[in-house]
Amino acid sequence: MSEKFIIEPTMEWPAKYNEVPKEVFEKEELWPLELEKIFYGDEWHPVVHQSEIPNIGDYKAADLGEIPIFAVRGEDNKIRIFQNTCTHRGTTLVTESLGNKKEFECPYHRWLFSPEGELVGCPNSREFTPGFDKKDFSLPTFRTEEFCGLYFITMSDTVAPLKEYLGKDFYEPLSRILGGDGRLKFAGYQKVHYDCNWKAYCDNDGYHAPLLHLAFKMLNWQGGKGVQNVSENGHLSFESELKIPDDITALKDASILDFKGTETSTGSIVQMQFPLTVYSKHMDMLNVRYAYPKGPKGIEVHYAYFTHEDDDDEMIEHRIRQASNLLGPCGLISMEDASIFSRIDKGNKTPGMAIFQKGVKDEYQLELKVGQNDESGNLPRWEHYRKLMGFKRAES
Amino acid sequence: MSEIEPNVIFSIENLNRDYICALDKLDMNKWLACFNKQGTYKLISNENESRGYPIAFMLDDKFERLQDRVTQVNDIQADSTEHYQMRHMTQLTSITDLGNNRYQADYNFTVYYTQNLIETSSILCVGRYEDIILIENGASFLQRKAVIDTNVLPRYVAYPV
Repeated sequence: MSEKFIIEPTMEWPAKYNEVPKEVFEKEELWPLELEKIFYGDEWHPVVHQSEIPNIGDYKAADLGEIPIFAVRGEDNKIRIFQNTCTHRGTTLVTESLGNKKEFECPYHRWLFSPEGELVGCPNSREFTPGFDKKDFSLPTFRTEEFCGLYFITMSDTVAPLKEYLGKDFYEPLSRILGGDGRLKFAGYQKVHYDCNWKAYCDNDGYHAPLLHLAFKMLNWQGGKGVQNVSENGHLSFESELKIPDDITALKDASILDFKGTETSTGSIVQMQFPLTVYSKHMDMLNVRYAYPKGPKGIEVHYAYFTHEDDDDEMIEHRIRQASNLLGPCGLISMEDASIFSRIDKGNKTPGMAIFQKGVKDEYQLELKVGQNDESGNLPRWEHYRKLMGFKRAES
Repeated sequence: MSEIEPNVIFSIENLNRDYICALDKLDMNKWLACFNKQGTYKLISNENESRGYPIAFMLDDKFERLQDRVTQVNDIQADSTEHYQMRHMTQLTSITDLGNNRYQADYNFTVYYTQNLIETSSILCVGRYEDIILIENGASFLQRKAVIDTNVLPRYVAYPV
């Protein structure tokens, strides 16, 4: 037998930090390497907020890269996240996106698992291999951490603990998106498929906001003072005041834009956690966007919305009206982002580089200090991506 | 449905026909004209609806919101969205008399879309309408609720269905 060589796909990366080869969005053979180096590598991924599965036995199915997983609330009220696979022959255990089960039974040979992941039954086990022990066949789980009720997993043993990984500039605003204390109530999803590579979906920047969004202009809605914080490992966090004019003539019902606020709120927070999760709080909408790449082409985004346990009925109704009309795949202010995803994907089939300009002071230096409306904040995440993928940067 | 007068069925079918023709021609003023001044429109996934989660894709819970939907489609988003042609196929499945000239009507529907008029056609969403219709000087929607089985939309949706 000949020795097996694995040739990893590689790419030439330009010397200039503000250039990204458009090919990176289109080269399908990068996907297996992205799975290995990023999705199964040293990164944390949010899976579920505790309020999405509030009752014992509630579960939610999801994916980590291409691995099907599910989160479930056990009899002990603890949330655990498992691979969605029977430990016998690999059949998936849950097939619905959400549900409630007392036990998880594989239909194939009736192996039965508790919500805590233990194998509690397997027919005819006296005829199994010598030394068979049910204890060795619990559901495979992940390293898991919780922040304000949001549960994250990683396949890495070496990545830093969650808060250290996110950094204070990221987790502090995130805590405010998660209601300050995580005491949220789940209000529903908006789910959509976007026809683009996952990296195009999460490459949105600070430069576009006042320019793409005609809705902002039409509504005479000006962004106030704000900051953009970026980290070396590719997380971005925008925070800005919202100055919504008192007199919005373009709309008959301007109450949709009311910012009722609370002491833990600022007008607008948008965060992008590497590799591809977006969190946002515009006015009173609390939103986590779980994102699932469908291979090298296509991404499914699940916009999850929340209210707070302390909200009165009026506030709940307000949050629901706002989220159901302003955000998501049909929303007044975010549909314009969606329209870019497929167009940027088509356009990136052309040769050459995508070039970032706004905020770039030196093309040959990576800058972590960026202004609110700069697009240079995306460059540290590209550098993080390049390093993880092992692509060599050309010499200047 | 046997107890429902034929002229009621006729009025309800006419209203639905006006509605789907307005959308297929993207005539938003004609779409608005299908609603009563007390009318509401909602587009929601079956996943949310069946589990009692209130978040919708579109939620026009009063007439001013319906008017703003027209403004949004005609003026605010016109330049930034990729237009697609819709074709609505509907089938009336039941009518219930609620009294006071009000009727509950249910339809199944499929909406096809053809993007930019040059590409192949696909299904945008499949679902059901749950309507409350007032028949008084013609028919109008007090409620048109589109509940879609298509929990994951195949693209962003720029127009009501």
